[in-house]
Amino acid sequence: MSFITDWLDWFPTLFDGLLLSLQITGLSLLLGLPVGLLLAVFASSRNALVRGICVGVVEISRGAPALVVLQLFYFGLPSTGITLSSFTAGFAALALTTAAFTSEILRAGLQAVPAGEIEACQTLGVSRLDTLRFVVIPQGLRIALPALMGFAILIFQATSLCFTIAVPELLSQAYSIGSSTFKYFSVLALAGLLYAAVTIPATWLVGVTEKRMSRHLTLAH
Amino acid sequence: MDASQRAQPMVSLRGVSKNYGERTIFSDVNLDVSPGEVMAVIGPSGAGKSTLLRCINFLEEPTSGQITLGGRTIRAGEGVSGRDVQALRRKAGMVFQHFNLFPHMSVLDNVSFAQMRVLKRSREDANKRSLALLDRVGLADFAGSYPARCSGGQQQRIAIARALAMDPEVMLFDEPTSALDPEVGLEVLAVMKELASDGMTMIIVTHEMGFARDVSDTLVVMADGKIIEHGDPRQILSEPNHDRTRLFLRAVLGR
Repeated sequence: MSFITDWLDWFPTLFDGLLLSLQITGLSLLLGLPVGLLLAVFASSRNALVRGICVGVVEISRGAPALVVLQLFYFGLPSTGITLSSFTAGFAALALTTAAFTSEILRAGLQAVPAGEIEACQTLGVSRLDTLRFVVIPQGLRIALPALMGFAILIFQATSLCFTIAVPELLSQAYSIGSSTFKYFSVLALAGLLYAAVTIPATWLVGVTEKRMSRHLTLAH
Repeated sequence: MDASQRAQPMVSLRGVSKNYGERTIFSDVNLDVSPGEVMAVIGPSGAGKSTLLRCINFLEEPTSGQITLGGRTIRAGEGVSGRDVQALRRKAGMVFQHFNLFPHMSVLDNVSFAQMRVLKRSREDANKRSLALLDRVGLADFAGSYPARCSGGQQQRIAIARALAMDPEVMLFDEPTSALDPEVGLEVLAVMKELASDGMTMIIVTHEMGFARDVSDTLVVMADGKIIEHGDPRQILSEPNHDRTRLFLRAVLGR
């Protein structure tokens, strides 16, 4: 049972990597979600130019694989005079991907708010901005929350792509242990388990949230 | 109508038409509603009743014509400004067939929200007014509940309180009981009746013939995009001038 002693040896290093992966996930979401919400709101703007820009940004960022965006930020940007650290390039690229994908999730959530409630706001004289702020966004977010959490799990898994730009996250740590010990199978299995230790409970949480969020629409209050 | 000649009308429509592309919903509608008048609008579905009502507060923009509400006039089709529409809407409260309450807000917040955001009342003042109105529609006990906890009839009465909280000069009702059981509809009609007897100006699109006969001062019959009768409800209901009205009344009363 030598792999157990190996795992105990490697665990602190891999755990540091896991924390970094979580940090990148957190920063990507923190930066990407508000931008995603703005894109979602402005994608239904009455101004055709604003609408066009939003749709363009979303389509391009969704169309390009996250790995390409990541490489572009780290290896491509220096030739334009912008040099980012691998950590910054990592979360900035994933934040852009987050913004693009969550804007679609959020847009679907906002559109699911019944039109009749927006008409009610109009007849009450409530401004468009207040209607968004107090009626559409609170309900749209609620509707979108389970899908957003599902996406957060995907972006957490996507942080492993940062391995390609030498961010010492979980996969990088596992890989460097592997290359010095040649026990690739064992160390990558442990890394996989660590990813799963986060994603599986997170998936349960999505299910619980889904139930909770629809509670105000039933009789449970 | 004698009343409309004596006083300045509260609501006045002049040559109002609405088309969706090639399709005409109604054309050249002229109508005056005096202060305190209760007007019921009946007619077969597809006649354009609801669209007409929605044109009065510009939820639908009329294709042409002119609408005056509480002394504010907007002419359709010449770059209507959002500010004018907002000012006009402030004078009219609207009640919808499907209530359109905000499900994520408590009953109290439903009624207080626009008071605070639009009329800039303090939360305290707004809630005080909301509770008084909820009491008036018999629902003060439900202030802390969510709309989903309330029956359809209760939700519609909350929606009436929400509209009244903005101190409208006219109340527009778009088939307020059509989504309700006949029995539950009665409690909504009772609130509307009381509102009418308090002197509120009301325009009601409805299929409730009893209400149209007993509570409204004037009755309008719309069919095929036109007003075909306009006058005393009892007279129209017992001796309609128009064959189309007779046909419609036979369908709704003779069942």
